[in-house]
Amino acid sequence: MAKAIDIRQTDSGADLAAHSNNRPNKAAYKGLYQFAKPHRKTFLAMFGCIIVAIAADLLQPYLVKVAIDDHLMAGDRSAKTLFIIAGIYLLLSVLGFVFSYLQNNLMQLAGQSIVASIRKKLFRHITRQSMSYFDRVPSGSLITHVSSDTESLNQFFTSVLLSVLRDGLTLLFIIALMFQLDVQMTLYCLVLLPIIALNAFAFRSYMRRTYQMARTNLSRLVAFVAENLAGMRIIQVFHQEREQQTQFDEKNQLYFRSNMREIRTNVLFNRSFEMLGNLSVAFVTWLGGNAVLGESIPFGVLFAFITYIRQFFQPINNISQQWNTLQSATVSLNRIWNIFDTVPEVQDAEKVRNVDVSAVKGKIDFDGVKFGYNDGIPVIHKLDLHVQPGEMIGIVGTTGAGKSSLISLLCRFYEVQEGHVRIDGTDVRELPQETLHRLIGLVQQEPYLYSGSIIDNVRLFDETITREQVIEACKLVGADTLIGRMKDGYDTRLSERGSGLSAGERQLISFARIIVFKPKILILDEATANLDSHSEQLIQEALNVVSKGRTTLVIAHRLSTIMGADRIIVMRNGAIIEEGNHRELLRRGGYYEELYKHSQGSNPQLAAGAVGGRASKKSCGVG
Amino acid sequence: MEGQRGLLTSYIRAKWYIYASGISFSIAANLFQAYYPKVLGNFTDQLQLGGLTKDAVLHYSLILIWVGVAYGVLGGIGQFHIMYVGRKFEWFTRRRLFGHFTKLGEQYYSKNGVGKLLSYVMNDVTTVRESIAMGVNQTANATMLIISVIVMMILSNIPVYQILVCISPLIFIPWVVVRIGPSIRKRSLEVQESLGAMTESAEEQFGGIRVTKKFAVEDIMNERFGRTVDRIKDNQLKLVRISSYFQALIPFLGALSLIIALAFGGYLALAGAITLGNFVALTLYVRMMVNPLQAIGNVINTIQRSRASVQRLNDLLAKRPEIEEEPSAVEADWSREVLAVNDLSFTYPDSPEEALQHISLRLEPGKTLGIVGKTGSGKTTLIKLLLRVYNPPAGSITIGDKDVRSLTLENLRGGIGYVPQDGFLFSSTIRDNIAFYKRSAELSLVEKAAKHAKIHDSIMSFPDGFETKLGERGVTLSGGQRQRTALARGMMMDAPILILDDSVSAVDAVTETAIIKTIRKQRRNKTTIIIAHRISALKHADEIIVLDKGRIVQRGTHHSLLQQDGIYAMLHAIQEEGSGVG
Repeated sequence: MAKAIDIRQTDSGADLAAHSNNRPNKAAYKGLYQFAKPHRKTFLAMFGCIIVAIAADLLQPYLVKVAIDDHLMAGDRSAKTLFIIAGIYLLLSVLGFVFSYLQNNLMQLAGQSIVASIRKKLFRHITRQSMSYFDRVPSGSLITHVSSDTESLNQFFTSVLLSVLRDGLTLLFIIALMFQLDVQMTLYCLVLLPIIALNAFAFRSYMRRTYQMARTNLSRLVAFVAENLAGMRIIQVFHQEREQQTQFDEKNQLYFRSNMREIRTNVLFNRSFEMLGNLSVAFVTWLGGNAVLGESIPFGVLFAFITYIRQFFQPINNISQQWNTLQSATVSLNRIWNIFDTVPEVQDAEKVRNVDVSAVKGKIDFDGVKFGYNDGIPVIHKLDLHVQPGEMIGIVGTTGAGKSSLISLLCRFYEVQEGHVRIDGTDVRELPQETLHRLIGLVQQEPYLYSGSIIDNVRLFDETITREQVIEACKLVGADTLIGRMKDGYDTRLSERGSGLSAGERQLISFARIIVFKPKILILDEATANLDSHSEQLIQEALNVVSKGRTTLVIAHRLSTIMGADRIIVMRNGAIIEEGNHRELLRRGGYYEELYKHSQGSNPQLAAGAVGGRASKKSCGVG
Repeated sequence: MEGQRGLLTSYIRAKWYIYASGISFSIAANLFQAYYPKVLGNFTDQLQLGGLTKDAVLHYSLILIWVGVAYGVLGGIGQFHIMYVGRKFEWFTRRRLFGHFTKLGEQYYSKNGVGKLLSYVMNDVTTVRESIAMGVNQTANATMLIISVIVMMILSNIPVYQILVCISPLIFIPWVVVRIGPSIRKRSLEVQESLGAMTESAEEQFGGIRVTKKFAVEDIMNERFGRTVDRIKDNQLKLVRISSYFQALIPFLGALSLIIALAFGGYLALAGAITLGNFVALTLYVRMMVNPLQAIGNVINTIQRSRASVQRLNDLLAKRPEIEEEPSAVEADWSREVLAVNDLSFTYPDSPEEALQHISLRLEPGKTLGIVGKTGSGKTTLIKLLLRVYNPPAGSITIGDKDVRSLTLENLRGGIGYVPQDGFLFSSTIRDNIAFYKRSAELSLVEKAAKHAKIHDSIMSFPDGFETKLGERGVTLSGGQRQRTALARGMMMDAPILILDDSVSAVDAVTETAIIKTIRKQRRNKTTIIIAHRISALKHADEIIVLDKGRIVQRGTHHSLLQQDGIYAMLHAIQEEGSGVG
């Protein structure tokens, strides 16, 4: 989709109005300068090229003036000088051609290199953020920062900076040349300059508003169509085609109207600008004509003036066009530097304790842990939980009971407010985050697939893990036959969308990841919630393999997933309210039993029968 | 060919008068514009002859003002007309496309992603608009300007051969544009593509950030992302190499023309073959021609591009909807007639295997049917056929004595309420989402439906209650909340038949039990079809069918099915006994 629709065209303009640049831009521009610094030489060379190119371009009317005044008007009958002039002219245009080519290339080289390094650094900076950041900031806006915002920075270099340099210099050159030709005439002409500039900038700022309106309406239209296309089946099944068409018509009409407004402003501006140009020529003709009449200037000068005054307009127009780009670039720049200013909330301790990952046993202790998210409401109160190496713990409880928070604390995605979380007796805050994350393997409800081969998806593109290791892992979790059936076997390309794998099969891939990365502790966070019973069974078998020799925590809605655990803890409102194995908990007749009954469809008789049937099975399972 | 031109020709035929007026204004404007160097030329001649007075200077300046104003105003009016036509085309075509989209069926959508369809609405329509607005405008302008310039030059007694010699380098401009234009376009598409690839990569990386961080492979992912960044840079530089060449070449050709005018014209002026005024006019004319010639080249490129777009749009509009109402469509009384599936076998259009084989069912009004089966067993296919999202074979699905295919779409769609698994909601208010079937419905009805679906409390916890906006600019609902909202939407319709397609899968067990209880109560005398993975959701059904590989392998009530050895009993065992871990 990114390819099909120019995202910038629809999006970036829309929220421009919302983020007016009220923050100090200075720091951001200073930061940008740091990125630009290594390219000083390129910029310098480019500057030289611009000067040569502009000079070559602007001297051309001057040459014609020389031809008219010194030869044609002066009655110089030798064609030789004329041809010399033509020769110089040719030389100048070749110079102009070569140097403007060079200048464009140099500019792009510098701009692109800067933007590329900003992009890489930005991406690196974002991935360094702690998990709470990603919970808070929607990934859509991060994508916008990395792609659109940096792209408008690119615009800053390739169009704003270039235009300011080139068009600004052109203007200066023209004025200088005009002074050189005739001071008085130039002074008269300079009266025009503010009028032209005022006209240009006034219109531009008005146009920007109409333009933004059009963009906002366009992005609403696009969003509407995209959503309706995605939900077309619902629309058809509910027979709402007509109603949706009416809504579409409204948005379409709105966009059309803002377009018409844009066109009106546009035409008005272009025309008034053009007329101003023609008026200036008339003005110069009148002024210069009288001057020629009074013999104060030769005719050739008048000719050159007329040409220059026309050339006056282009650079002013160009620069005023850059105004919008400059503004959106400034907004983007600020946004990017805001991210650069964000410090990861969870940071490695100053003195980290390095542990040998392979020697970790996997003992987990939650000692008097208290925790709440930003809003201050405590999610976990004074929780104590001790897990022995190799033990399998099932965690149940309704939504909001604090199950996932517990996991987040163990992984140190968030920091505890009170108490300690320890692995093998070491507080997780003392471990380097990288080590901690390698220690703990997490399998989530929605296994994520990267676009790449199955091999790469299992080893997460880490080339130090061999193909053989991956294949062995897949065999262990029982994914081998499934992969063998696929078109290219282990080299079949997967992606987040349309991998052709079912939810259960995707989950198997994430189990294989665990095998190759060898974490000491394994966490399953609702890993079976979206699966049908058949796939769930597949996963259960894989779990048996993967959990071997690892401390395992399993969170589940469905009791069937955790019934066989060594110990089940039942959480409610951030505390452990019941603890024990399945049978003990049922016997106790508390909240767990209630949950169990619900999952059985509140048929106590049947439930009782089921318990009896399972007991024998379980004993031979987890063991 | 005739049919393919349909969209554009029919539009232009309808709006020809605006076109005509726009073009006439532009032509008139250009005639004035072409007069402008002539005035300066005359001015020069008179000056040289010494016949210039203060009055004459004023006179010439005033003429110049007139020319300027007339050109500006007339050209502006023309331009406005033509741009109006273009935007109106956009408006009109998008409207038509949307209407067409609402008629296309599932089969089409399963083959064409949203991105592709959006690109019809956005890119193709825009391309065509550009070619018919800008293209027509600029061609008309440029042609007129060039013709009038040449006529003016000839009228000024500048010898034809001289004109031809001077403008000879300019002739190359359109050629250069047409030659280089496409490769610039190709390379800029490559830039766009690599930008898209980077965005996609960022999307992927941020989507999977939990996995990346959890396995501490940030460095590897940074490198992967860095590669997409470098590719953009390479492509950009490749593009600028050709585009800056192009940008420098056009003025260079213009300059060459001027050099010839200068040397050759100057020579002739020296020789007295032309006047100095003509020489001045000539150099101005040459300058004037550079832009229109470039424009013509651009137009040729635009038109080439838009030809492909017009073709694509016409092809799309020519697609016949799969599901169409028969001209003699009738209505059925859904609340009283028996819904029957008669030996239904079905194969998806592009699939070699039958998705359903010999399915037969009778569903009396007021009864509840449960359907269980693995993923891919044909449950959803059966529902799609019942809803006529796909066309079932003739006579295979009937309501009373009428084939569902013979019903009006309104009657059919009004007869069945549907709750999908994914809980798709629109980015409007919660109220509009629940009252999707009838958006003017009273709030009390909406509230009632929300209560039945056990979503009322969640909704009330939002600051704007039922007026809370969903989607990007509003709140995001969890999977379970989405499902329950979609359930409320289906219940709100209060249709004679309600289909729940695994609609409570993301809801926890306690809530599920409560929802099933309410559904049973609310739909006491109405027909309900429940598809579920979890047996707990459908065990109360009057009949349960078990689907496997497109066939009904078991049928009966919960109790009778439990007595049999088979999938149902096995599923029940897995779900209730947790044999997995064991």
